[in-house]
Order: sequence, then C-alpha cells, then structure tokens
Amino acid sequence: MSHTSQPREHRHMSQTAFNRYMPVAFTAPLLIVFVILTLIPLTNTIWYSFTDYNGYTSEFSFVGLSNYVSVLTDPSLLGGLGFTIMFTVASTALVTVFAIWLAVVLNKQFLGRNFARSLFFFLGVPAQAILGLVWQYIFSPLKTGIANSVLTIFGLKPLAWLADDNLARWCVIIVAVWAQVGWHATLYLAYMQAIPADLYEQALVDGANSRQRFIHITLPQLTPAMTVSIFLLMNGGLKVYDLPYTLTQGGPGYATNTITQSIILRGIGQSEYGVGSALSVLFTVATLIILVLQMNISQQVDRRFS
Amino acid sequence: MNRDSLARKAVRSILVLALACVCAVPLYYVLVSAFKDKVEMMRNPLGLPSHLNLDNFIQAFQSDTLGTAFLNTIIVTVFGVIIQVLIGSLAAYGMTLHKNVFTVVMGLVLVVAFAVPAQAVMLPQYRMEASLGLVDTLLGVIVLYAGGCVFCYFLIIGYMTKLPRELLEAARIDGAGAFRTYWSVVLPLTRPILATVVIFQALGSWNDFLTPSVYLSTPDKRTLVLEIYAAASTYSTNWPLFMATTVIALTPAVIFFVCCQKYIAAGLVAGAVKG
Repeated sequence: MSHTSQPREHRHMSQTAFNRYMPVAFTAPLLIVFVILTLIPLTNTIWYSFTDYNGYTSEFSFVGLSNYVSVLTDPSLLGGLGFTIMFTVASTALVTVFAIWLAVVLNKQFLGRNFARSLFFFLGVPAQAILGLVWQYIFSPLKTGIANSVLTIFGLKPLAWLADDNLARWCVIIVAVWAQVGWHATLYLAYMQAIPADLYEQALVDGANSRQRFIHITLPQLTPAMTVSIFLLMNGGLKVYDLPYTLTQGGPGYATNTITQSIILRGIGQSEYGVGSALSVLFTVATLIILVLQMNISQQVDRRFS
Repeated sequence: MNRDSLARKAVRSILVLALACVCAVPLYYVLVSAFKDKVEMMRNPLGLPSHLNLDNFIQAFQSDTLGTAFLNTIIVTVFGVIIQVLIGSLAAYGMTLHKNVFTVVMGLVLVVAFAVPAQAVMLPQYRMEASLGLVDTLLGVIVLYAGGCVFCYFLIIGYMTKLPRELLEAARIDGAGAFRTYWSVVLPLTRPILATVVIFQALGSWNDFLTPSVYLSTPDKRTLVLEIYAAASTYSTNWPLFMATTVIALTPAVIFFVCCQKYIAAGLVAGAVKG
C-alpha cells in the first residue's frame, strides 16, 4: 500500500510546483520576443528622442525637447501627421458606412450573391502595395489612363490626378476604401447572420418598415462588430504606409506623406535618429490615446444598446 | 426576408452585380493589359486583347529574380508564421495553466506589446539588426515577424480557455508532462483557431511591404511585393510587362483566396471576438 502511495504523493507535490512554474516556462519565448523586439527598442526610442544622435557615431549629446519642437514645426513632418489623421478619419468613416450598407445588401437574397460577396471580399486580399502600383497606372495623367478615359467619355478634360495636393489625398483614400470595404462588409455580414431572426419577425408583426428595422434592430445588434471594425480601421489608418507610398510616394510635395514614411526617412534615410525617435514617441502616445478613447466610446455605445 | 418579390430580387441582382463589376475594373484592367502590347494598351485600355499574346508573360518569367522572389516570400512567410504561432500558442497554453502573480504581470506585458505600434520601435530594431548583420537577410525579416506572436496569442487564448478542463486533467493523470499535453492534446484540440491564425498571419506576411522595403535591398533577397514594386520602376515605360508580372504575382493570392475564403472570414470574426 505504502509502496504505491509514495510515488503518487511525490507526484502531487511536483504537480503543484509544476503548475506554479509552467506559466513562466511556456510564456518565456514570448517574453523574450517582447523584451528584444518591443521593450528595449521602446526605451531606446524614448531615450534617443532627447538626443542629437545620428544613428551611427557614438558621440551624441542631450538636446532636451528640441527634437519634439522640430517634429511640431517641420512642414514635411506636419504634412505626414496631417495626412495620416485625415486618411484615418476619412477611410474609417467611409469604409464603415459603405461596409454596413454593403453587408445589408449582401445579406438579402438575389442571383449572384455568392459571387458578389466573394468579389468584394477578394479586393482585400492582394497586398495594398501592389494595388497602389496598379492604381498608379489607372490614375495616369495621360489621356489613355483609365480614370481619364472615363472622364473623356463624359466629355470632361483629363486630370493630373496625383499632381494636385487634395486630389492626390482623396485618390489615396478612395483606393483604400475600395480595397477595404468588402473585407469589413464580410465582418459585418458574419455578425448580421447571427442576429436572431425572431427579432425581425416580431418587428414585422409590429409593422416596422425596413428603415425602422435597420435602425432599431440591425444597427444596435451590429455595435460589437462596429467596435472591432472601427478599431481595425483606425489602427490600420494610423499605421498606413504601403498604399500612399506605392501610389504617390508621399507626393506631390508632402501632401500624402505618412507618419511611418517620415519615421523611416528621418531615422534611417537621413540619419536624424533623434527626430525620428521623437516622432515615434509622439506617434505611440497619439495611438494609445486614440485607441483608449475609441475603446471607451465603443463600450459606452455597447452599454447603451445592450 | 424571403418575402421579397422576384422583381425586387432581379433589380437587386443587377444593381449589386453592376457595382461589383465597377469595383472589379482595376483587376480586369490588370488582366487584359497583361495580354496586350504597349501600343494596344494605349489605344484600347479597357477592351479585350485582340489576340492571346503571351509575350509579356514569357518576358516576365525570364526575369532572374521573379522565381527567387517567390521563394523568398515563401521562406519568410512559412518560417515567420510557424515561429509566431508556436510562441503565441505556447504562451496562451502557459497562461491557462495556472493563475499567479506572474500571469497577472504577463497579462499587462501582453497588452503593452499589443498596443505599441511596430513603427514606433522600428529605428532601434533596425539598428539592432544592423549591429547583428541581419539587415538585408531573410533571417532578419523572420526575426521581426516573430513579433506577430502577440497577436497570435490574443487570437488563440480565447479559444484555449474554452477547452474542457477534463481533457487536460485526463492527459495529466495519464502521465503526460506539460509539454506533452500541449503538443498532443492542446494543439490538436485548438486546430480550428490555429488554422485561422495561420492563414490570417500568412496573408499579412505575404503582403507585407513595410518590413521588406526597409530591410531588404539586394535584388535576390526581394520578396514578391518588393519585386513588383521594383518592376513598376524598371518597366515604367513598359506597362504591359508590369501588368503580366502583377498577374503572375497575384495568382497565388487568387488560388489561396478560392481555397481558404471560409477560413479568412473566420479569422476576421475570431480577431473580432478578441477585440
């Protein structure tokens, strides 16, 4: 008897110890990745943002907040900041409105529904960098470019799409909306299909028309999906780089410059490591503030509707 | 919802499919242009090609770097995703094993790791990789992709906490160690979410432009997206050749989409549940 219970006892002991240390062992790889790829670089960025370090020589001195002042006064950096914010707000708003509308339509019955669903969804699959390059040809300033061919059909003069500041900004935003709408519509569609059908049955019995059903049933039921979709859009918008870079190279001038592009250019291209770092720090802070605000607002909206 | 009349459905079909066609014009444009020569593409940008002209494809395939670019992309995607998913799922498993001070701290670490934008730490990462000789190597890119494990963790943890505890208990009673339990019980049980995460992250790495464009400069190190980007400037006067290269590069994406559409959608929703 005692012979068999002995190892079991021993095992029980080791099991507790095992449980206690196992989380440490299993999360260790992730912790290492975090320390190497996030923690050390982040402290580095904060540290160097107060110096005139150029990225390679070992000599540098502390310059206080002067890098931060440069960030907030340099027209190219402000241009990047401005366009990134404009892009984030505009693409989030437009994608949200169109994606919900598209999801509502794609949720109804019609011939070719699966084809339409797949096609809109597919636009989100190719790399945005590649789509940016393709659209560069479409927005060609030549008369033979697609966009200009369309204008010619309507008897309008060809435009130099990507040569005008505001036109170029909207071109980038429109392409981003085009590429992302189907992707987000798919997300909304998944949530829409989970809305209990009896809610609609009941509303029909009560005589609600389709607009009322949309406002009082569909939209409130979609608030969790909106939280996620808007989070993804804002997060992606603030970090945007590929599409403006491949479509317009940030031009004309600095019109479609992005924060990411500025960080790369300053910190790696022009050896203004301190300025690039200060921009990175401000970017992190801004991202965190916006995301926390967005989470709070979403939570409040969620609470109101549930 | 089945009450719509046939006429309404027909009108809806026509309108939605028309909109879909308008949205598909850029893809159609790439496809038809790939089969045209320069003159024809200028003269007739949106029409069907006059004949099945494969010259552009032949020329695109003759490029020395296109094949290498495919291979490079496969390498960074496969290794990057395996590492991410392995580290992420290991951590998720560890966090479900036991609750103590460590896991609470770790929970905070994970939120910070998730919230800090990759761009904000790009400069020190670049310097670190430069000092280790990892700039302009595929390994350097894979190392950076390992950072995606945090996102994988968040996708996997939700699914993992819902696994029946009895199964893990049973494995323990059968004498399986913690790692054994992870490998032969937990991983197979979480296969649905793993498939989703793999597909989602693979798509992200495959399409990534930022990391390769900053880190990879030698032509034979280029990933596919970089190759297309280079082709756009190399063939800036030869549009059809660029279009053919793009068609070749997008073909795997199309096949992937056709095969995995369900999983990609599932990934969207899984990511959503996490958020």
